[in-house]
Amino acid sequence: MVDTLLLLLALAINLMAMAALALAMPQHWRQLSRQPLSAAEQRRLRLAGGMGLLLALGLCLHADHPSMAALVWVMMQALSIVVIALLLAGRAARR
Amino acid sequence: MFTTLRQAMTWLHTWFGLVFGFILMAVFFFGSLSVFDREIDRWAIAETRFDPQPMPAFDAILQPAFAALRAHEAEYQAGQALVSQPLPPPEELKPADWGAYVTHRDPLVSIWAGFDLPHAKDPDGHNHVHGWATLDPRNGQPLSPGQLKLGSEFFYPLHYSLHLHWNHLGYWLVGLAALVMLAALVSGVIIHRKLFAELFTLRPHKHRQRSLLDAHNLSGVAALPFHFIFALSGLIIFAGIYLPVSDSTLRPLAKAHEEIKAARTGLPHKPAGIAAPLASVDAMMASAKARWAERGMPGEVGYLYLNHVGDANGYVSIFRAGSDRVTLVGQGVHFAASSGQLLFEEPAPGAIGGIYDFLVGLHLQHFEHWWLRWLYLFGGLAGCVCIATGILFFVEHRKRLHGSSPLLRTIDAIGISSISGMLLATAAVLVANRALPEAWGHWQEPLFGGCWLLALLHALWRSKPQGALRLAPAWQEQCWGIALLAVTAVVLNAITTGDHLLHTLSRGYWPVAGVDLALLVAALLAAMSARYLQRAALPARSPLGVEVHHG
Repeated sequence: MVDTLLLLLALAINLMAMAALALAMPQHWRQLSRQPLSAAEQRRLRLAGGMGLLLALGLCLHADHPSMAALVWVMMQALSIVVIALLLAGRAARR
Repeated sequence: MFTTLRQAMTWLHTWFGLVFGFILMAVFFFGSLSVFDREIDRWAIAETRFDPQPMPAFDAILQPAFAALRAHEAEYQAGQALVSQPLPPPEELKPADWGAYVTHRDPLVSIWAGFDLPHAKDPDGHNHVHGWATLDPRNGQPLSPGQLKLGSEFFYPLHYSLHLHWNHLGYWLVGLAALVMLAALVSGVIIHRKLFAELFTLRPHKHRQRSLLDAHNLSGVAALPFHFIFALSGLIIFAGIYLPVSDSTLRPLAKAHEEIKAARTGLPHKPAGIAAPLASVDAMMASAKARWAERGMPGEVGYLYLNHVGDANGYVSIFRAGSDRVTLVGQGVHFAASSGQLLFEEPAPGAIGGIYDFLVGLHLQHFEHWWLRWLYLFGGLAGCVCIATGILFFVEHRKRLHGSSPLLRTIDAIGISSISGMLLATAAVLVANRALPEAWGHWQEPLFGGCWLLALLHALWRSKPQGALRLAPAWQEQCWGIALLAVTAVVLNAITTGDHLLHTLSRGYWPVAGVDLALLVAALLAAMSARYLQRAALPARSPLGVEVHHG
């Protein structure tokens, strides 16, 4: 049960981290904001994204044997990238 | 021929990808289904819908079942060619080895036996024939004959052998396809101009080729580590077939290796030729479990193996189920069969052995980790999307450049049958599984093949681009077919077994509820796709096939 919660948390953090990394890209930032993306904001988003991915890895390692955690984390990246891309595409369709 | 690396890589990616894409489509799709093969087995064979069981007691359950096991008819007939005198009847063949295997997801136990062939023509050859069975571990009763384990006996072997057994043809085709997959991934990364800049890019409302290429890149790049490691580990698993050096050029070396290994481990390489009784295997299993617990990794027995059955040199090998590790089975403990004395306890594998075990284990996934299992299904389906959009992009791109031609229409039809046709055949075999009487179970496989062939003929017939979308009408017709058959399968399951969704969900019996739910989701997606194609193809309402999506 605790492991499931840890993994859920890891997935949520991983998704947010990927969202931050996507928003650090000017073309995706423009999809959400009318303001231009400043260099400082871009740096902060990238840092937050990177830290989020590491934190998610840490949670995966806490929940499972390291060999298993590595696989879970890598597969979480695949899922997160696709989810963020679909959300951004859905947003583009509504505008 | 090519002036730049990118041109050369584009050529490789396009043509090898197209030709092997049709095979890869099946490999990825049935690989994805194999993630839940045991759950599909439960759906397909109602009498096996009970909870997973540990390895049954040997003395009471397994030994009588092994004793009753006979060589499989086809193997027995093939064995005649290996001997200089006619074979004795199957019940007189002496067993050489016995094996039993359980996993944490399967209520059934699989057992098999190898039988010695007397008067072999080549004394150094592989002079054995085999028999196998699936038992209810609670009472040792074999599964009634004619029952096809649709997930683990049909979809799963389809994934790696395509059920083409002649000279291992299927294994070779799948191996070549895996090699092409690796090359396509590397060349795809080289020709992709903006791998990171477009990591999250998906533009479904741009023109069709752009959207297809976006979807192709997204599904390929997001799950790139998955695609690469699975193609690679798949090749490693069957390396013995693709590079059979120990059976050909290096045979003397392989034999010497076996003998040295036997000397080091104390596990006899050959039988002594002296009959000996069998000590209690149950006691040996208990002892192995105690040893694992001592090493700080308590666990269940996953695989039991008896070599040189009934001989003084016989031994019993007990392996731990790798439910909590990536590795399949391991930590083998070996006992002398006649005395129950410990012969050898395997140490932890070295670096190379460890990497091999990890790669094989992560592919065969017998671990107990539902998160990872679902993530694997996602990775596999992402692979299907990547391959399907690649094939579609090829057809659409050429249609736009050169217009439709008979060759392009044929390629399109093969594409349709390898994408929607394959889904249609899969849904059809599930319907057949529930609709056919039990005694006709062996008709499921030819029905599957026949349905796939019909889907190809249908796609060839209905391949002329039509309507505003300029797409073959076969696409939407087959999508309607998938939706209809998938719903039929769910309804038939409810009628023939009584395990309808309300019942399975309230009981929390996920193997059957999960398959039913997956079928309903598939039916919904297929119907939505069919409806989208139908509406978008109407010239008056949506000339570009765009508006429908805004509704």
